[in-house]
Amino acid sequence: MRGTGLALPRATIGVSRWRRFRAGVDWPLILTIVALCTVGLLNLYSATRGTRHHAKFDTQVQWMVVGAIAFACATIIDYRAMVRLAWIGLGIAIVLLVVVRLLGEGAHGKGSYRWLNIFGMGIQPSELTKLMVIIVLARMFQDSEPARYSPGELALGGLALALPIGLIAVQPDLGTAILLTLIVLTVGFLAMPSVWPMIYTTLAGLLAIPILWEKMQDYQKNRVLAFLDPASDPTGNGWHTRQSIFAVGSGKIWGKGYGEGTQNQFDFLPEHWTDFPYSVWAEEWGFVGSLFLIAIFGFLLVWILNVALSARDRVGAVICVGVAAMTFWHVAVNIAMVLGLAPVVGVTLPFISYGGSSLVVFFLAMGLVANVSLRKHGY
Amino acid sequence: MMFLRGSSGLGGGLGGGGGAPALAELHRRLKWIALLIVTTFLLLVGRLWQLQVMRGDSYYERTVSNVVKERYLSSVRGKILDRKGVPLADNRPAFTVYATPKQLTQESKDELVRLLALSGDEIAKIDERLDLGKKRDPRNPIAILEDIGRDRASIVEQALARLPGVEVHHEPYRYYPQGELAAHMIGYMTQMTAAEADKLSNQGYDTSELVGRYGLESAWENYLRGKKGIERYAVDARGQRLDDRTAATLIQGERTIAAVPGANVVLTIDADLQRLAEKAVRGVQAAAVVVVEPGTGKLLAIVSKPSFDPNVMTGHLTRAEEELLLSDPRKPFVDKALRATYPPGSIFKFITAFAALEDNQTTEDETMFCPGEYKLSGTTFRCHGTHEKVNMVSAIQKSCDFYFYNLAERVGLDRIATVARDYGLGAPTNLGLNGDSGGRIPTKAWYEQRGRYKVGFATNAAIGQGDVEVTVLQMAMAYAALANGGKLYVPQVVERVEGNSGQRIMSYEPKIAHTIKLEPDAIDIWRRGMWKVTNEPGGTAFDHGHSELPIAGKTGTAEVKKYHKTDAEKDIEGWHPLASHAWFAGWMPAEDPEVVIVVMVEHGGGGGTVAWPIARQILEGYEAKKHKEPAK
Repeated sequence: MRGTGLALPRATIGVSRWRRFRAGVDWPLILTIVALCTVGLLNLYSATRGTRHHAKFDTQVQWMVVGAIAFACATIIDYRAMVRLAWIGLGIAIVLLVVVRLLGEGAHGKGSYRWLNIFGMGIQPSELTKLMVIIVLARMFQDSEPARYSPGELALGGLALALPIGLIAVQPDLGTAILLTLIVLTVGFLAMPSVWPMIYTTLAGLLAIPILWEKMQDYQKNRVLAFLDPASDPTGNGWHTRQSIFAVGSGKIWGKGYGEGTQNQFDFLPEHWTDFPYSVWAEEWGFVGSLFLIAIFGFLLVWILNVALSARDRVGAVICVGVAAMTFWHVAVNIAMVLGLAPVVGVTLPFISYGGSSLVVFFLAMGLVANVSLRKHGY
Repeated sequence: MMFLRGSSGLGGGLGGGGGAPALAELHRRLKWIALLIVTTFLLLVGRLWQLQVMRGDSYYERTVSNVVKERYLSSVRGKILDRKGVPLADNRPAFTVYATPKQLTQESKDELVRLLALSGDEIAKIDERLDLGKKRDPRNPIAILEDIGRDRASIVEQALARLPGVEVHHEPYRYYPQGELAAHMIGYMTQMTAAEADKLSNQGYDTSELVGRYGLESAWENYLRGKKGIERYAVDARGQRLDDRTAATLIQGERTIAAVPGANVVLTIDADLQRLAEKAVRGVQAAAVVVVEPGTGKLLAIVSKPSFDPNVMTGHLTRAEEELLLSDPRKPFVDKALRATYPPGSIFKFITAFAALEDNQTTEDETMFCPGEYKLSGTTFRCHGTHEKVNMVSAIQKSCDFYFYNLAERVGLDRIATVARDYGLGAPTNLGLNGDSGGRIPTKAWYEQRGRYKVGFATNAAIGQGDVEVTVLQMAMAYAALANGGKLYVPQVVERVEGNSGQRIMSYEPKIAHTIKLEPDAIDIWRRGMWKVTNEPGGTAFDHGHSELPIAGKTGTAEVKKYHKTDAEKDIEGWHPLASHAWFAGWMPAEDPEVVIVVMVEHGGGGGTVAWPIARQILEGYEAKKHKEPAK
C-alpha cells in the first residue's frame, strides 16, 4: 500500500528540513479538502443568497481561514507529542463538558446545553471531545500492549471513554453521543486484540435502547417517531424529512441548476445550511452532482485509510483510522438523514455544513492525518 | 507489532508486542470495515437513485408547482412632531411600482416606459434598481418607481396583464407637510446603496425601502422605522396565490408576523417660531439661526439657509436638480448652524474680557484711548473706528477692537483659549445631529505644531478672528450659559419619543455639560455692555434700528481670510466669498432671559446692519405670538 508518488527518496540526508517538509506535505489530502470547502461555499451561497441570512457566507469564509490555520498547527506539531498528552486533553474536554453543563447556553430553548461562549464565539465542547477521544484511543492502543487486556484494564479504558460520551448524552446531544460511540467501536474493532468486547458492547447498547427511550427528551422521541412514520405528522416533526426528500427528488438527474433550488430558496427547509446542505446540493445538481459529492467523500476516506496503512507506527495508524471513522459516520448519518433513511439528528456534513465548531474540528482532524502522513518516513 | 501492514517503518522501531491482532486477522477486519463503508455508500446511492431518478419527476412537479414566498409587511414610519404636535414629517398613502427582476421581460419594461412616458433619468433609475435587485435576489420584487401618483398608478394597474413581473403596491410614503421648513434638521430619506443593502438586510430591512439619510430622519432612524412584519405565502407555478388551507400544509410555523409601527419623535422645536426665523432670513443668501431656551438648553428653532425640499430629496430628485444643488457655492447640503464653522468676530469678546477680569488684569473703570489702530511688534492691527476714550462697557457697546487688543496682550492666547473652552467653544456640543462639529480654539502649542507662534495671534483671537472657528450652535449655547448664570447645557432637540397612541417611550431631561465658575461682576459688566449695544446711541446695533422690546445683544462682523475665488464660483448677489460674516448674539428680556438667539449671515456684511435686523424681527415675532396665544 505504500508508495504514493509523493513518497520521499530513501536518502534524505543533506536535504533541507524545509524541502523535506514540502515534499512530505500530503497534497492530495489538501486538494480534497479544498474541493469540499469549495462545494460547501458554493452551496451555502446558493442557500442563503438573497435571504436575510446571507452574511453567513462571510462568516463561513472566516471560519475556513481559522480552520486552515488550525490544520497547519495540527500538522506541524508531532503527533507523538500530542499522544503523550492525550489523557490531559481528554481531561480538559471532560472539564469543558461539565462547565458547559453548568454555565452553557441552551440552543433554541430546547433545554439542551451545548454551547460555551468564549470571547464571543460559540464553542461546542462536544465537537472537541471527538478529537480528544481519537487521540486517547491512539494512546490506549499504542505499541506495547499485553496480549490480552485484563478485565480490569478493559473496564478502566471503557469507563474513561464512557464518561465524556455520557456527559454529551445528558446535554442532551444524542446524535454526537451515538457518533462518538460509533467511532470508539469502529477503532476498537480494528485495533483490539479481540473483537469480542466490541461486539458485546454493541449488543449491550442495543439491549439498552428501551431504557434509553425512557430517558429521551420528548422532542427526540418525536423525531424518531416521525422518522418511523413520516406521514403521521406532516407539518410537525415529519416536516424536515418530507421537505428534504422533496428537494432531493426534485433535482432529478441533472439538477435544477445552480441557484435555482426553489425548495431550499424559499425556506421550505428552515436552517437548511447547517443540517441539510446536502439536500440543497442534491436539488440543484441532481443525481450526478449528488454522486460526485459522495465520490469526493469516498476518495477522502480511501486516502485517510491509505495514510493509516503507511503510517510509521501504531499511534499514527490508529489516529488515521479514528479520523476516518469520524468522517465516515458523519457523512453516512448526515446523508442518510437528508434522504429520509435516519431520524433528524444534529450531525453535520464535514466541510459542507455551516458552522464554525464542526468546520474547525474537521480541519484539525485532517491536520492530524497530514501530520501522520508527513512523518511516515521518519521525518 | 503487526497492526497494519505498511511501510517498513511500521513494524520496525516499535517492538512487537504479541498482543496486537495478527496481520491476516487485521486485514480481515479491515475488509469488514471496507465492506461497511461500501455497503453504506451503495445504500445511499441506491436511495438517491430511487428519489431522483425513479421518482424524480413526481417530486419535481410538486416542488415547482408550489413555492413559498416571503414578503415584508411594511411598518408605518413614526412621525416627527414639533413641541405642540405639529407634524414636520408624516406619511401619506402612495403607490409604488415593484418589479421582479427574474420575471420582468424586456417587452414588459418597454411597455411600462411607454405607458408612463418615462424620462431617460427615470429609465436609468429603474435599470439601477433592477441591477441591485438581481444581485440581491432576482425572485423577490424590488421597488422601481416610488410614489407615482394615483393617475399613473391606475394606468399601470389596468395594464398589469401585459406587464408580467410588475406589481403596484399601496404603501405609506414619507412626506414633509411643512415643505422646506427646518429641512436640515428634519433631514430626508433615500434608497439604500448596494453596500448598505448588504449590511442592513441583516437588520430586517427590505432592500428596496428608504432609509433616513440626514438630520433627525437619520439620527433617530432606529426609533422611527418600527419593525417590519413578515408574511409567508404559497404560490403555484403560474404565480397564483394558493388558499390558506393549502398554504398551511406547505408552510411550517407562523404565516404572518405583524408589523410594529415606528415611534413618533416629539421635538423641542416650535414650528411657528421656526417659520418666523426662516421668513426673517428670506432676504439673505446664506445664514444660520439658533434660538434656544437658556434655562433648559432646549432648541426652539434651528435654521440653515440655503436648504432643500425634503419632499424632493425623498425619492424625487432628478439628476439635474442634484447637480444644481451640488454645484451651488453656498453649499445647500452643509448645515450652517451645526456643521459649518466660522470666525465669530466680536461676539467672542466676552471671553477676552472675562479672562482679563478674572486675572485682575483690568477693571471695569479702566479707560483707554482708541486711536483707530494698535501696533504690536511691528504689525498694525486696525480698529474699525477711532473710539477715543473707552472703558470696558463702552468698548462692548461700540465694539472697540483696540480695547480688547490690549487685554489680549496682558492675558495671552492660552488664557483666552482656556476660558473659551470653558464655554464649550471649539468642541462639539453633543447634539448628535448632522455631524455637529468642534471648530477650533487655537493655543500656543497649536501654532507651534504648525510652525511659529507670534504674539499677534493672540491679538487676533481676542476679537474672535485669526484661527478661531466655532459653530453657530456653540455660540448659542455659550450665550445661553451667560444668560442663565453659568450652566452650559447640552443642546436638546428631542423632547420625547412616544408610541403612536401617545404612550411615552422615552423622555429626555435637560442635561448640563458643565457648570462654569463665574465672576458675577464680570457677567454684570458684559450684560450692561450688551444692553447698551441695542438700546443706547452709539451701540453697534442701536444705530441700525431700535426695538421697543427689552433685547440685549452683541454684534459681530467677522472678516474672512484672504482667499482666491475659483472660476466655478458664480457671483451671487448679496453673497461674496470675500465679504465678512455678520453675527448677532443676544437674548430677551435683558433681565432673566427667556430666549437666546444667535444669527449668522454668511458673507452677509456687518453684524449691526445685517444680522441685528433679522434677530430683531424674529424676537418681535416671538413676542407678538406669545401675546396672541394663551399662556400654557
